[in-house]
Amino acid sequence: MTALVALEGVTFTYPGADRPALADVSLELASGDLLVVTGETGAGASTLLLVATGFAPRVVGGTLTGMRRIAARRCGVVFARPWTQLTGLCATVRDEIAFGPASQGLPRETIRAAAGRAMEGLRIAHLADREPARLSGGELQRVVVAAALAMEPEVLALDDPAAELDPEAADALYDVLPAVAAAGTAILVATPDLERAARVARRAVALAAGRIVARGAPAEVLGGTAVADIARAAGCPPPFPVDVPALLRRVRR
Amino acid sequence: MIGYLPGHSPLHRAHPYTTLAMAGALLLGAFALTQPLEVWLLVLAAATFAAVGGVLRASARTALVLSLPIWALLFVLHGMLGAEPRMMAGPFALSVPGIARALVLGGRVTAIVLGFLTALATVSPHRLVEAMTAGGVPFGRTFLLASTLTVLPRMRERAAQILEAQQCRGLRLGGSPFARLRALGPLALPLVLGALAEVDEQVLALDARGAASTARRTALDPPPDSRAQRALRGALLILVAVAYAWKFWRMRG
Repeated sequence: MTALVALEGVTFTYPGADRPALADVSLELASGDLLVVTGETGAGASTLLLVATGFAPRVVGGTLTGMRRIAARRCGVVFARPWTQLTGLCATVRDEIAFGPASQGLPRETIRAAAGRAMEGLRIAHLADREPARLSGGELQRVVVAAALAMEPEVLALDDPAAELDPEAADALYDVLPAVAAAGTAILVATPDLERAARVARRAVALAAGRIVARGAPAEVLGGTAVADIARAAGCPPPFPVDVPALLRRVRR
Repeated sequence: MIGYLPGHSPLHRAHPYTTLAMAGALLLGAFALTQPLEVWLLVLAAATFAAVGGVLRASARTALVLSLPIWALLFVLHGMLGAEPRMMAGPFALSVPGIARALVLGGRVTAIVLGFLTALATVSPHRLVEAMTAGGVPFGRTFLLASTLTVLPRMRERAAQILEAQQCRGLRLGGSPFARLRALGPLALPLVLGALAEVDEQVLALDARGAASTARRTALDPPPDSRAQRALRGALLILVAVAYAWKFWRMRG
């Protein structure tokens, strides 16, 4: 299968930074992939998303060395803070979601259909006529994800997408991702929410100081914590809980 | 009040270009007219404009607050320090040509501010974007204008949130003018820094949604225009041209 994104020995440095945010990173992303990127704060997970989707250095500046090939024609990106991703120009959620397809100059019917599908997929059709600025953080984040999906991206990068969501809404968001990936979109998720990530991811990479330190199946990569070791030793089936609250929830179940 | 106020007045229903043309005519007319009576007729026209939009009270109040310091300055600068002859007004010996000049300049400022606030209050940024998109205006220009119209309400909303947060942390807003001035620091700093910190994400989010696309955007719901409105805009243009022609004719005379 042809890779939509291929990185080989990529190093990226932000403007003015004295050390690279990503160093010698190699990665391939194909249609239908659902790859989780994790690491401590500052490890470079968010930067990897920007580099893989072409926004760095094109939009954020900086220098990139190594080989990067992006075959995907459309890349979407969603950040943790949904209010920064609103256009501020749309009176309704429907228009906000239709903004991306409208930018592509598609016919109105196509735009409305794409927006409708995205709203259905994220279960926010009931919000269609609401004013985006009046939504809760959780509703807004789903609107932002729907807005990205309405553009039918071949690669979708989600940077800690559940940071502003309550547990139920976070579950709902992660539950949608496998279906989106199954439809052919390659998804990259940077998140510290390892339990939910492990539930949906097909592959995972762990970053430390901008370098990939582990890659493979989610249970192998994301389960590399002491809590996961305890769960593994106790005979818990994968994916292993990676922190104490997750372990307690699993034990209670 | 600075910002859009939803409503159903004729100005709210009019094509955004028509309302903006009226505000523009007030602005240009203010500089074309040179006599106190003419300028104050223009102020009356601005007040009528606001009344038609159903925002007279709100716009006039804000216009008064914004114009009063300028009025005070003009009174001192021209009325008290102006040229001879002088007339006595209570304890003050006021310059007659200075007062006439202050009336013209103050009237201009009042008419412009009132017209601008009325346009802000009655032109929905969303409808303006749709109108400009339908007219084939590049998105960059549309965004620049629309975000200028919405920046003040957004900043005010954010300032209110920061103020609440700072009050929860013990910030006192009352007291002497000096204490109030000191309280501005904890408000202004997070307001400005927060806005700057979010700019990067906003740029990325807009870019990801095709804002930089070279394709001609599709207008989803362009506001209806009419022959009568186009004629009115043409008439305003002619009126402004006549006013300037009259001004220059009088200057030659």
